[in-house]
Amino acid sequence: MLLLDKSAAEINKLTDEELVKLTLENQDIFLYLMDRYKQKLSNYIRRITNANQEDIEDTLQEVFIKVYLNLNDFNDDLKFSSWIYRITHNQVISNHRKLKARPEGYAVDIDDQAAKNLAADIDIIGSIDIQIVKRNIFKILDKLDEKYREILILKFLEEKNYQEISDILKKPMGTVASLLNKAKQEFRLELKKQNIKF
Amino acid sequence: MNEARLSKNDSGQEQTVANRLWEQKILAKIKTDKLTPKPRWQFLLKNYVVWIFGAAALLIGAAAISVMIYLFIYNDWNLYEQTHKSFMEFFLLTLPYFWIIFLGLFIFIIYYNLKHTKRGYRYPLYLVILAPVAASLILGFSLYYLGVGEQIDDVLGRQAPFYDRFINRHVGFWSDPDEGRLIGLVVSPLDNNKFILVDRSGEEWLVSISRLPDRAASLVILGQPVKLLGQRETAAEFEADRILPMTPPGHGFFDRFDSHFQSPQPPRPPRLPYQQGGPGEF
Repeated sequence: MLLLDKSAAEINKLTDEELVKLTLENQDIFLYLMDRYKQKLSNYIRRITNANQEDIEDTLQEVFIKVYLNLNDFNDDLKFSSWIYRITHNQVISNHRKLKARPEGYAVDIDDQAAKNLAADIDIIGSIDIQIVKRNIFKILDKLDEKYREILILKFLEEKNYQEISDILKKPMGTVASLLNKAKQEFRLELKKQNIKF
Repeated sequence: MNEARLSKNDSGQEQTVANRLWEQKILAKIKTDKLTPKPRWQFLLKNYVVWIFGAAALLIGAAAISVMIYLFIYNDWNLYEQTHKSFMEFFLLTLPYFWIIFLGLFIFIIYYNLKHTKRGYRYPLYLVILAPVAASLILGFSLYYLGVGEQIDDVLGRQAPFYDRFINRHVGFWSDPDEGRLIGLVVSPLDNNKFILVDRSGEEWLVSISRLPDRAASLVILGQPVKLLGQRETAAEFEADRILPMTPPGHGFFDRFDSHFQSPQPPRPPRLPYQQGGPGEF
């Protein structure tokens, strides 16, 4: 089999789409896909739901099993990452009631660049201390409507482009753009409400 | 393929699998539960079904448009002053609401199916609505020119329940003898300026055209439907002030009254084709 000729490092160099094809031939390869996405999706679920670790892992397990069962539905029309994020997004919606928020609030770290991008895009750059921005971002996101929170997370924290967000949320790009503008407005409003100074 | 192979890196050394324990548990579950990816044909079939339903809805919607055009063209535009208070009233009362609702329903089905195709979400809402409307209109006009609208009206006229009340309200509107309007099928030859007409309920009327010029008799053709403006004289007698040939929509409906041509009368003659500006009106 083709796979027997490949070492782990070689397999790790393959694209997601190539791994999907190989997984259809050999289910063990699915391990590599899970390995690639476990942390990313885990962060994503935590960011949009603030759920506890146990619930996140349960959701993630359902996501990976769904992904595996539906591998034949994936095609090159969209990126694999958009497809797997979409499945995760849908799973989070269907698990919505089950997911229990942690009382201690959000705790996923944001990298400095993502925080800077968000701050710059929302025009709160001023006298910025990036650590203050990072500390407060989730406090504000927490108060936003889910649809605004998720689109801001996808754009600035998951660093997805418009096309990818469109594919994940299954909305036209125009709708993504206007939803994002509205989300930024809401973010600014919440910033004022909470009297947070950057 | 085994897991040992999977866990070897480039230099052939064993990679630590501790951080993959969680993933391996899922893989084990997949194996234990004997889960396999759903076959590709299932997804293709689902996709085809969405497209086929969409295409069928498009065809039905277009057929509805072809009937609407057919009804619209033969809508007695030249008579509205005698039958309605204003053009607007005439226009609103004669709109084919049944077909409009029917079309709306099928445009919604096309929209729904388009939205549920694999790439449907990528298109803006206005495009997903306008595309089926435009496609239905283009196809609808084509079907009308192929005579499909007329054929559908004919078949429904002969068989559909409530045809005269909902599908073609024209027939219902002209069936109000108390308001001086009567429509029906000529089932007897003209005799002494009088003939027998069967209305939409199957009731027979003795109609007099004695007030009309002699040439009005040319419109009283056995087996042909006619429209009359005039007055109701008694429960089953009508005095006509005007007689008009019935425009084609609804002709099929009067085929339902073939039993009125039983012997000793001759069988119903074949339906004459409607001619614009043909025998005229009196």
